[in-house]
Amino acid sequence: MASETHPHITDTSNVHINRKEYWTIFFVLFLLTVLEVGIVFIPGLGNGPMLAALGGLAVVKACMVGWFFMHLSHDTATIRNSVIIAMAIPFFYAVVLIADAVWKLAWTQL
Amino acid sequence: MGAQAADDHHHELPFDQWPEDKWTGTASLGKIGMWIFLLSDALTFAGFLLAYGILRGGAEQWIMPGEPVEFGINFTAGLTFLLICSSVTMVMGYAAIVEGNRKSAVKWLLVTTMGGALFLCGQMQEYFGAFEFLFHHKGLIADGLIFGNSARASTFYLVTAFHGMHVLTGTLYIFVMAIRTYLGKYDGGNYNHIEMCGLFWHFVDLVWILVFTFIYLVPA
Repeated sequence: MASETHPHITDTSNVHINRKEYWTIFFVLFLLTVLEVGIVFIPGLGNGPMLAALGGLAVVKACMVGWFFMHLSHDTATIRNSVIIAMAIPFFYAVVLIADAVWKLAWTQL
Repeated sequence: MGAQAADDHHHELPFDQWPEDKWTGTASLGKIGMWIFLLSDALTFAGFLLAYGILRGGAEQWIMPGEPVEFGINFTAGLTFLLICSSVTMVMGYAAIVEGNRKSAVKWLLVTTMGGALFLCGQMQEYFGAFEFLFHHKGLIADGLIFGNSARASTFYLVTAFHGMHVLTGTLYIFVMAIRTYLGKYDGGNYNHIEMCGLFWHFVDLVWILVFTFIYLVPA
């Protein structure tokens, strides 16, 4: 049984509890938040790189909450894919809007 | 399986749970319903954030005269840390009730409730300066960020107050769950409602991570 070799892990018939993993995710989220705030105060960093770094970190943090705290990692592929696909739609819409804005900006500067 | 046998098997399950199947596994009817609700809610938030981005990207002047230039990143980073803490206490409460430890579950759920209440107090301070005696700041409204005066102010209050209503709902939800757990409603492996409550609370945390980044951190 898993709990005999790993005391922090409890296996029941339906769920997987891993306290060590929860605390690890908590500390990683904390460190990424500190990193995000730190990025804002980096002198001379342009808006483009800053937006990319902040957006990337935010998406990584949100995915970590969904995957580990909301237990998507232990759900079936059907549930997991339903959530991921639904969430990907506004994400790609945002990417298209940003690309459109960049294209228009570049076009006006020609 | 005969109709009578299938009926008997059905009665072995709690009223809100389905038999295990290959598509949804052991996820209960309530959990599937909560996920559908959260996805619709996520798309609402996505709509608000996209509207914010479109307005901000297309504005010739985003910060109007008399408005604060920034929203107080350090204070809001503290609120973000508070929500991350409350997410981990929520999942610890869930772990406790799965393991049948009612006392520990109640403790973690109450700590989570406290985290939500503190976040709301923080938002009251941010808007109205409700705790000016502690933070020496009269709040964003006193600073000139008035709902309806500019696209920036309106979208800021729309997104953050909509999220705040979720925090209020979640805090009350978890408090009710804590009382029900204390009364022994979720003993004996009946942790489905706590799992659903946890999903809602983690979603509130997840959304705040995005709101914090795109509204507070992205520079003007």
